[in-house]
Amino acid sequence: MPATDIAITGLGAISAAGNNTQETLANFSSGRRNGGPVTLFKTELNYPAFQVQNFSPLKPEAMRSLNLAFYAAEQAISDAGLENGFGSLRIGICLGTTVASQLNDTDFYRQYRQNQTAPMDSVERYLKSNLAYELAKFFKIRAQLCTTIVNACSSGTDAIGVGLSWLRNDYCDLVIAGGADELNRVPLDGFGCLSVVSKSLCAPFDRNRSGLNLGEGAGIVILEKTNLACKRGKTPALFLNGYGQAADAYHLTAPRPDGSGLKQALEQALKQAEIQPEDITFINAHGTATKDNDLVEGKTLAKVFGPQIKFLSTKGFTGHTLGAAGGLEAVFTCLGLRENWIPANAGFQELDPEIGIAPVNQITQIKGNYAVSTSLAFGGNNSALIFAKN
Amino acid sequence: MYIAGMGIVFNRGRGLTNLEKALTQGWVKPNPVYRVPAEALADKQVLKEARRADNLSKMATLSAFDALADSGLPEKSKSNLGIILATAFGPHVTTFGFLDDILTYGDAQVSPTLFSHSVHNAAASYIALNLQTRGPTLTMTQFADSFQQAIILAESWLEEKRCEYILVGSVDQTGKVMEYICSQKLKLAQDGRIKPFSFSPNPAAVPGEGSAFFLVTNNAQYNKYCSISGLPAEDQEKDDLYILDSDGMCGDETLYKKLGQTNIPLVSYAPIFGSMLTLSSFSCMAAALMLKNQKTYASPIQDNPHNFNILTRHQTLAVHKIKCLRYNCYQEELAIRLKTE
Amino acid sequence: MPDAKEQELNSIRKKLKEQLVSHLSLEDVDPAKIKDDEILFGEGLGLDSLDAVEIVVLLQRNFGVEVKDMSQGRKIFYSIETLANYIYENQKK
Repeated sequence: MPATDIAITGLGAISAAGNNTQETLANFSSGRRNGGPVTLFKTELNYPAFQVQNFSPLKPEAMRSLNLAFYAAEQAISDAGLENGFGSLRIGICLGTTVASQLNDTDFYRQYRQNQTAPMDSVERYLKSNLAYELAKFFKIRAQLCTTIVNACSSGTDAIGVGLSWLRNDYCDLVIAGGADELNRVPLDGFGCLSVVSKSLCAPFDRNRSGLNLGEGAGIVILEKTNLACKRGKTPALFLNGYGQAADAYHLTAPRPDGSGLKQALEQALKQAEIQPEDITFINAHGTATKDNDLVEGKTLAKVFGPQIKFLSTKGFTGHTLGAAGGLEAVFTCLGLRENWIPANAGFQELDPEIGIAPVNQITQIKGNYAVSTSLAFGGNNSALIFAKN
Repeated sequence: MYIAGMGIVFNRGRGLTNLEKALTQGWVKPNPVYRVPAEALADKQVLKEARRADNLSKMATLSAFDALADSGLPEKSKSNLGIILATAFGPHVTTFGFLDDILTYGDAQVSPTLFSHSVHNAAASYIALNLQTRGPTLTMTQFADSFQQAIILAESWLEEKRCEYILVGSVDQTGKVMEYICSQKLKLAQDGRIKPFSFSPNPAAVPGEGSAFFLVTNNAQYNKYCSISGLPAEDQEKDDLYILDSDGMCGDETLYKKLGQTNIPLVSYAPIFGSMLTLSSFSCMAAALMLKNQKTYASPIQDNPHNFNILTRHQTLAVHKIKCLRYNCYQEELAIRLKTE
Repeated sequence: MPDAKEQELNSIRKKLKEQLVSHLSLEDVDPAKIKDDEILFGEGLGLDSLDAVEIVVLLQRNFGVEVKDMSQGRKIFYSIETLANYIYENQKK
C-alpha cells in the first residue's frame, strides 16, 4: 500500500504540448508535436524549438517565465478547489527556474557596453521576477516559506522534493511546487555552442539522436497533507512518496558515465517511498536526446529497474524546458497514473544497442500504483521523484 | 542543528583567523568596494579541479572546503554530506561576459565555457567536484531571504535524515556592471561608511562580495560552535544580542528602530563585510565565533543618532543567545537564531 | 630552408599553442614548451569534452575554420599537429 500522507491535489501545466492538462493529453494521444522555428526573438541560429502558442499572459508587464508560472499555478490552484483562498492553511511556495534568476537582458548590456550607462527597466523587471515571491504576491498568499531553486535542469524536480521535505517536517500544510522557464536567447546560444542542440526535432533514446531542442513552459503541483485535504472535502487519488538527490561530482557539463549519481538518487527515492524497483509501473525519464544523457540514463534505468521497464521521455512533445522540466514531468507522471496510459516516446524510431533498452513507442496502458520521474542536471545533479496512486 | 565547522572568504582574506582579526581591528575604508583580494583565491591544491572556474565558484569552493576542514569530520563523512548554496545574484560577472560574447561574436560563436559557468548551480557543482562529495546538492536564490531559506532547508534535510552532514552557505560577488546597477538603484556611501544604526528611510550601501559556509549536523558530538536555526523560535528565552544586517541593500531601514527600543544590545558587522543580500551568513559566522569564544566584538562603525544600546567595545562576557536579523525589501523580518548548547 | 607550407604550419602551431593556453586557462603551461606532437586529450595536455567545444569556437573566431561534424573531432583534435594541419587545410578553402 502506498504511503498516503502527502497528496497531490492539483495539477497545472503549460508547454508546447498544450496550454493545460486536457490539451496536453489530447496531443499526447494524437502524437502531435508542436516544434518549429524560433519566433519569440531574433536569432542567427537555425534550431527548432518548442514554443508555447496562443498564450495570454495574466500580467503582461512581467517576465514571460513568471507569466507561464502564474498560468500553470492558476490551473493547479483551481484543480485543487482553492481558487477562493487557502483558509488557515500554512502555505509554502517552492519553484524552480533558470532564466528568471539571471540578469541576462542583452539590450541592457548592449547599452551599458556602449555608453557605460543603461536604462534600468530590465533591471527593475528582473528584481520583480523572483518566481516564488512573485507568485505569492500575485495570488495574495502569505507564505510561511518561499524559495526559488536554481539547480539547472533538475530545478523543478528538486523544488517538488523540497516541498515534500517541508511537509513531512510539518513546516507548512500545503506547498505550491514546480518550475517555469521561458525560451530565451542565452540558453539557446549556450546549448548551441556546446554542440548538444539538434537541427531537427529531437529523438530521445533513439540510436540516431542528434541532440536536444529547447522548449518553454511551466508545470505546477499542489502538495497537501492528506488529512487536511480530506478535512476540506477532497478525496485525493495521487500522492508523492519519495525524493532522491545525489551529485555526480564528475564534470560541469558531462554526466558521470557509470550513472552512479542517478542510481543513488533512485535508491534514495525508493527507500523513502518504502518500495522496490519492481513496484514501479513506468518512468518519465529526463531523456533530453543528447548522446551522453540518454546513454547514461538509459543504461542506469535498465540496471536499476530491469530491461522490461516501461519508460519514456516527454521532451519529444515539450522540448527541454530547463527549470520547468521537472515540474512539467511531475504533472505528466501524475496524469499517466491517473489516466492509466502513457504516450509514445515522440521521436524514437530505433533502439540504440549501447543503451540496450527502448522507450515505449506507442500509447501504452499501465497498471500498478507507482511511477518515477527523473531529472539529470548540468553540473551533475541527479534527482528522482516517486508518485503513487490509490 | 549544530555548527561543526566554518569557512569564509571575504574582502580581508580567507579563513577564520582573518575574520577574527577583522572583527578585532574594526572598520577599514573599502577601496572603493569590498572586493575579495586575488591572493585569497590562490590555492591550487584545493582548487585542483577548478581550472576554468570563475571567482564566484572559487570563493564558494574554498570557504566550503575550509568549513569541512574546520569540522575535523572523518573522510567517510563525505559519503553522507549534502550541499546547499544560497546566492542572491549568482555568477552575474560570467553572465555579462557571456552577453559580451554574444554581442561581439554573434549567436553562433559564443564560449561554451562561459555559458556553463553562467548557471547559478555551477559553484555548488565545483564544491562537490573538488571535495568529492556525492550527497544531495542544491542551489537556491531568494534575494535577501536566500541564506535563511538555505538554513531552513538544511534543518529539514537533517530532520528527515536525507544526509547526516550539510555544507550550507552563501556566495555573492561584485563586478563592474553590478556596481553600476547599485549606483542607480541604491544610495552609495560616498565616504565608504555603511552606517547600520542610522535606520534611515534612505540608507547608504557599499557593495561587498564573499562566501561563508557552515558544516552543520544534528549530531551533538560535532557541535564545535553553537546551534543555529532559521525556524520560528519555540522558546521564549530572551536574546543577549541582535546582529543587524542594516547594510543599505533593502531600502527603508526605519523598521529596525523597534529593535533598538527593546534595549537588547545591537551590533552590525556590515561595515566589515560590505553590503550584500546574503550578508546574514557572515553575521551568523560572527555570532558563532562570539558564542564559542564567549566574547563580543564592538560595532565597527558606531554612529548612533538614536542613542540605542549598541556594542561600543570588545568584551569578554557570557553570551548565550544571538539573533541575526534583516528586514527584506518587503519589510518582512528574517531571523536566524544561534545559541550555545 | 622551410617551404611556404611548413612556415605557415609553424606559424599556426605557435598561435595555436598560445591561444590554447590563454583560452583554456592552462595557467601552468608555457606555450613555448608544448611539443608539436603533444596529445591534447587524456595523457598530454589533459583537455576534456568542454575544452573540445571551446576549441571549436576558438577555431571559428581566430582562424575562420569550422568543425561541422563533431564526430570527426577525435581525429582533428588528436594533437597540436593534427589540429594545425586541419586549420591549414581548411583555411585554404
